[in-house]
Amino acid sequence: MNALEARGIHKRYGGLAALADVDLTVKNGQFVAVIGPNGAGKSTLLNVLTGLAMPDEGQVLLAGQAITRMATNKRIRAGLGRTFQHGRVFARLSVLENVMTGAAIRGRLSESDLRDFSMEIIEQMGLADVAHEAIMSLSYGRRRMVELSRALACRPHVLLLDEPAAGLNSGEVDQLIDRLAELRAMHGLAVVLIEHNMGMVMRLAERIFVLNFGCKIAEGTPAEIQADPAVLSAYLGEGYAHAVV
Amino acid sequence: MADFVQLIINGLAIGSVYALAAIGFVIVYSATGVVNFAAGQFVMFGTFAGVATLVNAQLPWPFAYGAALLIMALFGALFFVSVYLPLRRGSIVTIIIGTVAVSITMQNAALLSFGSWPFRLPSPVEDSAVSLGGAIISLHALAVVAVTAVMVAGLWLLFNRTSVGVGMRAVAQDVQAARLMGLKVNRLLAFSWILAAVLAGVAGLMLGPMWFADVNMGDPIALKAFAATIIGGFGSLPGAIVGGLFVGLSEVLGASYVSSAYKDLISFGIMIAFLLVRPQGVFGEKIQDRG
Repeated sequence: MNALEARGIHKRYGGLAALADVDLTVKNGQFVAVIGPNGAGKSTLLNVLTGLAMPDEGQVLLAGQAITRMATNKRIRAGLGRTFQHGRVFARLSVLENVMTGAAIRGRLSESDLRDFSMEIIEQMGLADVAHEAIMSLSYGRRRMVELSRALACRPHVLLLDEPAAGLNSGEVDQLIDRLAELRAMHGLAVVLIEHNMGMVMRLAERIFVLNFGCKIAEGTPAEIQADPAVLSAYLGEGYAHAVV
Repeated sequence: MADFVQLIINGLAIGSVYALAAIGFVIVYSATGVVNFAAGQFVMFGTFAGVATLVNAQLPWPFAYGAALLIMALFGALFFVSVYLPLRRGSIVTIIIGTVAVSITMQNAALLSFGSWPFRLPSPVEDSAVSLGGAIISLHALAVVAVTAVMVAGLWLLFNRTSVGVGMRAVAQDVQAARLMGLKVNRLLAFSWILAAVLAGVAGLMLGPMWFADVNMGDPIALKAFAATIIGGFGSLPGAIVGGLFVGLSEVLGASYVSSAYKDLISFGIMIAFLLVRPQGVFGEKIQDRG
């Protein structure tokens, strides 16, 4: 069974077609990337998948169950998790409290168990030393890790990451790649990654979907995508294929 | 000295009531961005809920207080469902004007139900007093300060030690991100309104024995609560407490040492001074720092 599926998604904003007949399939435990130039509709696709935007046409299925019109918080409870492009931590909460907001969907936990569970995630993510710190006192890179921890605290089956490497330095990107690979191995997560950092995409993704002007122009393995003339022309650039070769 | 101690206790007692009203105001503002212009009428309803259960129904004290607070909780839920939810998709200004409309409706509903003649709401510690530093202090005034302290401690625990409180703070900061954490945003918003109504109920029950229960009492309370939040810092819970106590003390001390005719002028004058010199109040953030 597919972990997440979008079928024939159309989304218009006035006269602009943000998404036109877009399909996306993510198998259980699969790492998928969605790439494309700015304005291609990648974040809109994540918004449709998470219920922050409703599609004009098409269907979204999570583990085979239609969730197209389901409220966002119910989708999260059903197994979706998401981070934002520009990092939207709760600025006036501590690191622990931020992670607790995600863990709180596990309603049957007592308050102390909920704190313990949140601390476990924080420790896994290497943030134990700042658990009680005000989040805005952390570096931007560590804040992004808190946001990822917060999404993981929801115990998602499918994790949607919207440009998690944006604003990180190369060392932090390497750490993020290692951490994502570990998490995936540990929790069997399916991941949908939107990212402009092609090094990260090619290292992690098993399958890549390419959007341009709201349309899917290609789908395939990293090797196939790197050799696809339509993708090279629309996004990667002709020089990319030569650089990789 | 004895007079001064007595004035301080009385000021803290009335200030505690303003603080509770201001806290209700701040909880709703922080969670929803709505300035609740019916906050004073919420307190008035709390006082009249006490009149209904204690004076009219003659229930024993604990049941009367419990029933009055239950009525206020139901009223908070009703307000959320019938005013906030239908208007929330509009602009904040629309909701604010909705609260103005509700405040007028509440005042007239109280007038129709209880008439224009003021009631006196008794206190369980009526006519009891203690001697403190030579001053004779009403036990009710001390009880008001103690109850407020307990309520504030309870609120601190709620917001800092429970997942519900942390969730409420998260919703207050970013509703969309809160939804993406799976938080039941509407339920938390409803709880904010219910909590504000219950706090107003407590304030109303404590204020009743100090003032007369009058259907017009809402506006002056709202103005004082508003002044308290401006002085303490709009959106700040510690600010609401400090601001409420400050307004209460300045009112009582001003009435005694300056003139009772100018007691309101003093607290509102200080509020205007804060708006001019430090608009973020004692504990508040500058608006541009929020978010």
